[in-house]
Amino acid sequence: MQTPSNRWLGHGLYLVIMAALIAGIYFSGQKINYTWHWERLWPYVINTEPQDIIAQTDGTAVVSASGQLSITPDYGGAPQVVPDYDKLVARDGDLIFQGDTIARIEGWRFGPIAEGLWVTIEISFLSLIFSILLGVVFGLMRVAHGQVWRNLAVTYVEIIRGTPLLVQIFIVYFFIGTVFDLDRFTAGVAALSIFTGAYVAEIVRGGIQSVPPGQMEAARSLGMNYAQAMAYVVMPQAIKRTLPPLAGQFINLIKDSSLVSVISITDLTKAGREVVSGSFAPFEVWFTVAALYLVVTGGLSWAIQRLEKRLAASD
Amino acid sequence: MTNQAQKQVLIAARDVNKIFENGCHALKNVSLDIHRGEVVVIIGPSGSGKSTFLRTLNQLETISSGHIKIDGIDLVDKNTNINKLREEVGMVFQSFNLFPHKTALGNVMLAPLKVLKRDKAEVEQEAKDLLYRVGLHDRMQSYPSRLSGGQQQRVAIARSLAMKPKALLFDEPTSALDPEMVGEVLDVMKGLAKEGMTMVVVTHEMGFAREVADRVVFMEEGELVLEESPERFFNSEHPRLQRFLGQVL
Repeated sequence: MQTPSNRWLGHGLYLVIMAALIAGIYFSGQKINYTWHWERLWPYVINTEPQDIIAQTDGTAVVSASGQLSITPDYGGAPQVVPDYDKLVARDGDLIFQGDTIARIEGWRFGPIAEGLWVTIEISFLSLIFSILLGVVFGLMRVAHGQVWRNLAVTYVEIIRGTPLLVQIFIVYFFIGTVFDLDRFTAGVAALSIFTGAYVAEIVRGGIQSVPPGQMEAARSLGMNYAQAMAYVVMPQAIKRTLPPLAGQFINLIKDSSLVSVISITDLTKAGREVVSGSFAPFEVWFTVAALYLVVTGGLSWAIQRLEKRLAASD
Repeated sequence: MTNQAQKQVLIAARDVNKIFENGCHALKNVSLDIHRGEVVVIIGPSGSGKSTFLRTLNQLETISSGHIKIDGIDLVDKNTNINKLREEVGMVFQSFNLFPHKTALGNVMLAPLKVLKRDKAEVEQEAKDLLYRVGLHDRMQSYPSRLSGGQQQRVAIARSLAMKPKALLFDEPTSALDPEMVGEVLDVMKGLAKEGMTMVVVTHEMGFAREVADRVVFMEEGELVLEESPERFFNSEHPRLQRFLGQVL
């Protein structure tokens, strides 16, 4: 049995060990002669630098009385009109060459890491929805009475579980993607959904089979047909039991989504690779990328825990 | 007996055989008529096929040969809508089988709402009346996990009654209960019998059989051995019945 004083001692010891670990990481970082440049990373997450507006042709700058800037090309054609700017660089009548900075615009925009994070969240979310659909359909087929359905479901699950996700992504992108003319994003979502769906199907099957057969019998004896008994009696109980393993599977899905970078989808991982080559700060970038994945997976497991608590009302 | 013979037959089982996939011959040529408003109690040692027989009456168990007619409709006929028939024959299980994700009220309301697609307010009122009738008006919002075994079984009976069945089947309804809770469930069942509900009860409660049954049936090794009124049944000299009663009483 745990006494309260024991528990506080445990927490304290944990803090000491964690502090030691962090100090270890910090000092080993100091020792390897690596210059940390965390500030270099910031523009790749959120860029607050003013953005340059570039002249598209050679010509003459014209600033109207109302302050509107346009470039009149030397060799005819429509003038380049700058609809909005914060700071003027070119002055009225200046000779402008293509590529010159003519004005600047203030404000901020997302850097590649933030955009990659968004792509990762988007891909994970869409794949999560589709994998639930696939998983429920194939999980139900797995326990259906018809042998055809059971065989089909077993085949799907075995093929998908028996091959590496990376290989599946290539097959979906290069073969299925070519046949159906899919763009890389769709192919990535399809591969992740099909992969995760197989695992969800097995989890759903386990959940359904963990509901005592008496529940199905009671529902049927009240006149419900198979579909009604499944929908109103068996599945609500099964879903509750499958939430913890599903949470694990969906966290895996978020992490597995990093593999779609091999088909040139600029997700968080690919953005990280690109930023490393631009910023020369690989350690900082990968620590940041890892932390961002942790935030997404942590958010998901928190949400599922909330759901579990809500469903526990009948326990 | 003459009085009952004139009554209308509600459930008619003829030469029912059940052979399980593993080769076990669970029912051997069982024939039994159950009349409207009658209470039939089936007793027998475990493994005698009495529960299997009960479960064939609403097709939770299919039969290998023979015929079962409910209100003139053949269960074996491929054209029979088995779900429709099950609405008319309720079942109460040994292990209650309440839906754990629904409250007591939710359990009673589910089938009328989803199967009969009836109006919610109306169904709720009826469900409350039913729970009142089984003495659970103060536990309507409780989940099954918060109810005692006896309370759960009473909810289960109310749940079956909500479909307004023509007959109720009881599969050892008190066997999973602590002794002090057997009485409250039997009282509800006695009340139902008095109101004229057709009931087929598999039980080990000899007192209930003696007091409530119109007929008592003894089954052993898949055969229907004896079928008598309670007075004659419990005074029968039948050797197989004597052996069984000697063991349980």
